[in-house]
Amino acid sequence: MARFVTVANASSIQPGQVLKVEIDNFPVAVANVGGTFHAFDDTCTHEDCSLADGDLEQHKIICPCHFAEFDVRNGAVLTPPATVPLKVYPVRVQGNDLQVEF
Amino acid sequence: MPARQTIAIVGASLTGASAAATLREEGFDGRVVLLGAEPQLPYDRPPLSKAYLRGAMPFEKTLLRPPEFYREKDIELVLSTTVTRVDAEKRRLELAGGERLDFDSVLIATGGRNRRFPIPGLDLPGVYDLRTVADADRIREVIAPGLRAVVVGLGFIGAEVASSLRECGVEVVAIEPFKTPLFRALGEEIGRVIEGLHRDRGVDMILGDAVSAFEGKGRVERVVTTSGRRIECDFAVFGLGIEPAADLMAGSGVRVDNGIVVDDFCRTNVPGIFAAGDVANHYHPVCARQMRVEHWQNGVKQGAAAARSMLGRGQPYDEVHWFWSDQYDANIQYAGFHAPWDQVVVRGSLAERKFLAFFLTAGCVESAVAINQGRDLRRAFPLIRARVPVDPARLADPQVDLRTLVPAEKPA
Repeated sequence: MARFVTVANASSIQPGQVLKVEIDNFPVAVANVGGTFHAFDDTCTHEDCSLADGDLEQHKIICPCHFAEFDVRNGAVLTPPATVPLKVYPVRVQGNDLQVEF
Repeated sequence: MPARQTIAIVGASLTGASAAATLREEGFDGRVVLLGAEPQLPYDRPPLSKAYLRGAMPFEKTLLRPPEFYREKDIELVLSTTVTRVDAEKRRLELAGGERLDFDSVLIATGGRNRRFPIPGLDLPGVYDLRTVADADRIREVIAPGLRAVVVGLGFIGAEVASSLRECGVEVVAIEPFKTPLFRALGEEIGRVIEGLHRDRGVDMILGDAVSAFEGKGRVERVVTTSGRRIECDFAVFGLGIEPAADLMAGSGVRVDNGIVVDDFCRTNVPGIFAAGDVANHYHPVCARQMRVEHWQNGVKQGAAAARSMLGRGQPYDEVHWFWSDQYDANIQYAGFHAPWDQVVVRGSLAERKFLAFFLTAGCVESAVAINQGRDLRRAFPLIRARVPVDPARLADPQVDLRTLVPAEKPA
């Protein structure tokens, strides 16, 4: 059953930042795009690399290993070598708790 | 005059497939004929020396696009077919077997073929090179833990093959004529780091020596070097670079010089004939000189750029070149324009194999290599493009965000 899990303090991720968190030992990245949070699989769909180690440019996350790019809002592939979209998760803020539906 | 235009693309690999897809994305509604010498649908070559070679990736995963893509986009795939000649005057391709294909314009994306050297025994069974999936399959068949392989040439392909073989439990002896692996690309200081990476994983490295013969009765049994070493082995793989596959242009009037010479719109000197990818010796506006590269990203991007050029919507092709190489747990990336350098600036730690190294000429960053530091390398792209002198001390300081070193008037 999917449920909302508190992953971080909402104020701990500033606009333009990405944070890697773990939910049930599964790596998930949370990005702050101009005050809106987006959660997605931290592992690139191309090869085993952490997207949170890459740069966030507006709504675009750039994998540091092979520079594949994804839209963090919907997981769409923007630039190869990735071909498979990224899984994204609903996010909500409750008080100061940042929660991801997992 | 046919009602429907035909664009032929010779070479059904990364560049050709990218061009074909782009033609459709751009709305071209004529015939798109994609001709490839290999029997497979267009596939991705980087895994051939890595996950595919190790048996960790099925072939289907290497396909650049799903099989139905070509049907849906009305891209005619003509596989297992070699184009032997381009008749520029008649605008006609001559195919092995005698068939012909008339075109209105053609993109040559034939890539490269492995360089062969007149080394005795090179044709012995058990001596392999690696370019195609068929080549990779031949090597995969013999890989088994405990066997001993000799890898000849530690350029990027040789180094990746050595890495994959070690991960499969194969004993590896590597022979490299230069004093470090990747010496020509990265120089001695960084080459030593790569050497350490391989030595740590148990590769027996013989540097500054070259193969003089492969020997064996009916199959390779040993490799003999110019200094007289005799190395027993079960098989050997050599990676000594590629040469552009431009033979088909003979007699076409198209200028060939270290590949097919094109301008920054991928145009040859003959109207209607374009080239892109590994085979194209292209003019690069950022460096204001001709260059030929063998990079994955260039295959994708230049293929797309050529397609737009063919439709009369071209833009000067001015990408900062880059490529990656994964060896063991090291993610190696290189960006920029290889040229003789007069200074190397290291940012990070060579010992920990987590750094960026900049290659400078007259104070300007020409290129950079990153090991496990891809994010920083990406941030250096505008710097490479800007071609203005930078303060080496700031380059070397990990606290300085590389994006702040770029002059504002020359954005990325």
